[in-house]
Amino acid sequence: MADGTRTLLVGDGPLADGLHDGLVHRGHVVAQVVPVGADGGTDIDAGIGAGVSLIGPPDLVVHVPQVPAGPVALVDQTTQQWVEACEAPMAEAFAVARACRPHLSDGARLVWVLPTVAMGGAAGYVGSAAASEGIRALAKSAARQWGPDGLTTAVLAVAPELAFPPDTGAGARTSAATTLTGPALGGPGDAFGDIAPLLDLLADPAARFMTGATLVADGGVWMAP
Amino acid sequence: MSPDLAPGDQLLEGRVVLVTGGASGLGLGMATAMAAHGAAVVLACRRPETGEPAAVQLREAGHDVRCVRCDVASADDLRAAVEATVTAHGRLDCMVHNAIAPTLGPTRIQDVAQDHWDAMMATAIRATFEGARAAHPHLREAGGSMILMTSAAGMEGSASLPVYAMVKAAQRTLAKGLAAEWGADGIRVNCIAPVALTPAMERAYGENPVLHERLLERTPLGRIGDPLDDVGPVAVFLASEMARFITGQTLCVDGGGFLGL
Repeated sequence: MADGTRTLLVGDGPLADGLHDGLVHRGHVVAQVVPVGADGGTDIDAGIGAGVSLIGPPDLVVHVPQVPAGPVALVDQTTQQWVEACEAPMAEAFAVARACRPHLSDGARLVWVLPTVAMGGAAGYVGSAAASEGIRALAKSAARQWGPDGLTTAVLAVAPELAFPPDTGAGARTSAATTLTGPALGGPGDAFGDIAPLLDLLADPAARFMTGATLVADGGVWMAP
Repeated sequence: MSPDLAPGDQLLEGRVVLVTGGASGLGLGMATAMAAHGAAVVLACRRPETGEPAAVQLREAGHDVRCVRCDVASADDLRAAVEATVTAHGRLDCMVHNAIAPTLGPTRIQDVAQDHWDAMMATAIRATFEGARAAHPHLREAGGSMILMTSAAGMEGSASLPVYAMVKAAQRTLAKGLAAEWGADGIRVNCIAPVALTPAMERAYGENPVLHERLLERTPLGRIGDPLDDVGPVAVFLASEMARFITGQTLCVDGGGFLGL
């Protein structure tokens, strides 16, 4: 597929780490940037600059925003919790777009990996889901702005079980709230074997006519429309 | 209460509505329509010098309308506006969060100024959170509803207004999440995605002379909406008992301009 693809991966946690390993396994040269807020993180501008120094101008940039622990009902949240759940991920996504843009040239793609709750909302994760939908709009706006320069964007929407902190059980509860029958393919999949290959696909020049779109890869829960 | 109606019934008789950004444009159009349907309306306005004359004009027309000063970027102001409404009228049945910082002209993502980002986040996102928290106990007591304003830009992205598109998208999913959380409290939360001739739209026409023509080209009904006569009735409907089984939804009030839902 895309052997030697230079990939800049911004994110931390099990989902980002699984994507990292899956992309390396498929032959990508990956630099991972751990944002501020995660242990040992760095600011986005500096991190992307360092990543580009390491691998060269990226063919693929992947951002996996953090999803906070929870769930917490909106009325029980402090302002600080709200900022961390909703405003910070949007600001981080915007910073990623801004910081990577000067390093992207014709054929490069920027992908956000987000939980499907972006489309449907989620009780207990109101702010986080809203942020994801805001980022989805950013992917569309960036596609429209940068298309003439040959740059493309996409959103890869994954099961909440993959994006939410795994020890809370919130992902399974959120998925259950959106479907009567459970995932058509039997489960939420895994980052290494099910999601990373789709990033590889999106990085392939054969996918160059797809931009601003959301590819849903949740095992067949969210099918609308 | 049954939603059965007789001709001439006022849909919001006895209801109390708080509208942020109520001094002009969409906010004033919705507030006027809701007042005309019997609601007591409080206009939450950053600048009372524009909000108060609007309230006076509506009172002179026989409506129960007052103005409170409220900068929605301030959580204290939002709480005070909610409390002033409840103090004055004893209840709150509907909160319409319409206010938002001015959009700038076409802006590249890489050129967005921090103060513009901060203003959009404060007025659209943080204000929804703080307003929702302040209004929640009163809406629960009344079995009321909340209305957020979104935009087609939030659903299809915008080449010229990327931050506006982000916050409008976020507000739409915020409404869905709140609808899920608050359904058990008997509170409905919905969105309106309007296209209407407002002072903000007129400014946008000034910045982009082809905008009006392009909007008309994509609008099957062939005109731009009116804040009072086109958008106002939809706000009345969503706040009324007629919409009692509708929550988490977006109604596009744009003459068919966006058909992507």
